Amino acid sequence: MRIAVCVKHAVDETELKTDSAGNPQLKGAATKISTFDKNAVEEALRLKASHSGEVVIVTVGTPEAKKSMKEALAMGADRGVLVNADPMSMETRRTSELLAAAIRKGAPYDLVLCAEGSSDNYSCLVPPMLGEQLGLPYVGYARKIEVSGQSARVERALEDSVEVIEAPLPAVVSVVSEINEPRYPTLIQIMQAGKKPMEEVSPEAILPGLTAAPSFVRGMKAQAMARKRVVFEGPPDETAKKLLDALASEGVLPR
Amino acid sequence: MSIKVWAFSESASVANEVAAAASGIAQTSGGSFTVVGLDEGGSKLAGEDKLVLKAQAPLSASPEAAAAALALVAKESNPDVILVGSTRNGKEIASRLAVKLGRPCASDVFAVTLDGGFLRGKRNIFAGKLQADMALPLPCVAALKVGAYPVLPASPAKEVERAVGEVATKTRVIEKREKQRGTVDLKGAKLIVSAGRGVKKKEDLTLISDLAAALGGAVGCSRPLSSDMGWLPEEHHIGLTGVSVHPDLYLAVGISGQLQHVAGIKDSKVIAAINSDKSAPMFEASDYGVVGDLYAVIPAMLKELGGRHR
Repeated sequence: MRIAVCVKHAVDETELKTDSAGNPQLKGAATKISTFDKNAVEEALRLKASHSGEVVIVTVGTPEAKKSMKEALAMGADRGVLVNADPMSMETRRTSELLAAAIRKGAPYDLVLCAEGSSDNYSCLVPPMLGEQLGLPYVGYARKIEVSGQSARVERALEDSVEVIEAPLPAVVSVVSEINEPRYPTLIQIMQAGKKPMEEVSPEAILPGLTAAPSFVRGMKAQAMARKRVVFEGPPDETAKKLLDALASEGVLPR
Repeated sequence: MSIKVWAFSESASVANEVAAAASGIAQTSGGSFTVVGLDEGGSKLAGEDKLVLKAQAPLSASPEAAAAALALVAKESNPDVILVGSTRNGKEIASRLAVKLGRPCASDVFAVTLDGGFLRGKRNIFAGKLQADMALPLPCVAALKVGAYPVLPASPAKEVERAVGEVATKTRVIEKREKQRGTVDLKGAKLIVSAGRGVKKKEDLTLISDLAAALGGAVGCSRPLSSDMGWLPEEHHIGLTGVSVHPDLYLAVGISGQLQHVAGIKDSKVIAAINSDKSAPMFEASDYGVVGDLYAVIPAMLKELGGRHR
């Protein structure tokens, strides 16, 4: 079975700094593979282990995104395709178009896996857009995937319900992080990842005649965290009382 | 410019929340809005202008079918703005509509306004560390953050029904199980006591539930407790990938305060924390904090509360 996994190279939200005016310092910011993408890679590797086949990592990113691709290759994916374009500068529909074009070029695939959303934007729009662009069955928010023959049985988690969906293959499926625990690559795997094939393509090569599709983001600012940050220390009976008194004076305790 | 806005959700209560946003932007632009629902939900919808789409099979059973039906009707009446509730299915429907109709799209948007030929709005990014200003050129699709607008009451206005015939879907629902209701309603809770990794054993969660009971609140948790340990069902998980909450009081017990957890509690009125680690990021995100062992502080709180209620 051939599986494409879409991953994103993202600015690490935990390391992102803002200046005194609240402007993010995105240039030179620490980056990583988008957190939940590891769950998608892990699921692909588990399916490969039981059905054999190939796992291909597909990324829309600048050449720096090879870092995230290597991480996925170190986990056990077989090869990678980088569409050389900056997803931060384009609208999500364009990202999904480029992913779709790269996946079509590498076809046939039995399954396309994505994370539910990325750890930077978390718009959760790209996976269903990709399903729509490819004209394939799409199932979102999978917490369990079973493949048998030419169909997949997917358990998906919604806010108030769980659904079991049957989808013929090929299909696009997005996974939630509860689906598995991503493996850690070994040192040897990390060293060998650099030797695995990584193909780089330009957007124009896979989607000729592209017009501009700029991002809809006009600006980004730090969110003011206007919290009081009063901290009580001392013996538990004293701090417990102080905390309850403070909460009572805020009027947030039941009378 | 007189614009036409659609307010849609597959859930009637969310549709009525989206209607509040639609009503706001329709009013300021001198335009009109239509609340759009599916299947038999017409009487539950708000607004004077209601449109209900019906097919041979229930459209609400499949976001794929709902999107196909909406796209069909949108192509005829061409609303300038299609607002969709940002539920999990809502985001799928919005994405599909954006591709089918060739329109710009953004999700989890709030504070929407019209500005010239653009729908402006904000969305939280980088696990809530930053807020982005969005400008979607019209016509567009925007999925609205759930809980950001008041829910308008249902109106007695009679809905217009639109039959779309048979809608083909590529996938099939084999089974649908409602999650247990009544045990937890974190989205509507006024007070939440939430447990994190500082709780050492599953049995010790009784401390958390005892405190929640004494305060008349609900029990939530951070991701490790539901996902890694499996101590609480997934619907208790509060955070970016779980439930977003907005209680009057959010009390985080033994929660370190990772960004992805804090992203789900930002709209709380007051946030308090109990943690033995003074440097835990949770204190940065809190109004009040107690540095101490939860195994000593909670019993002390319970004792104090017992005394107060007597």
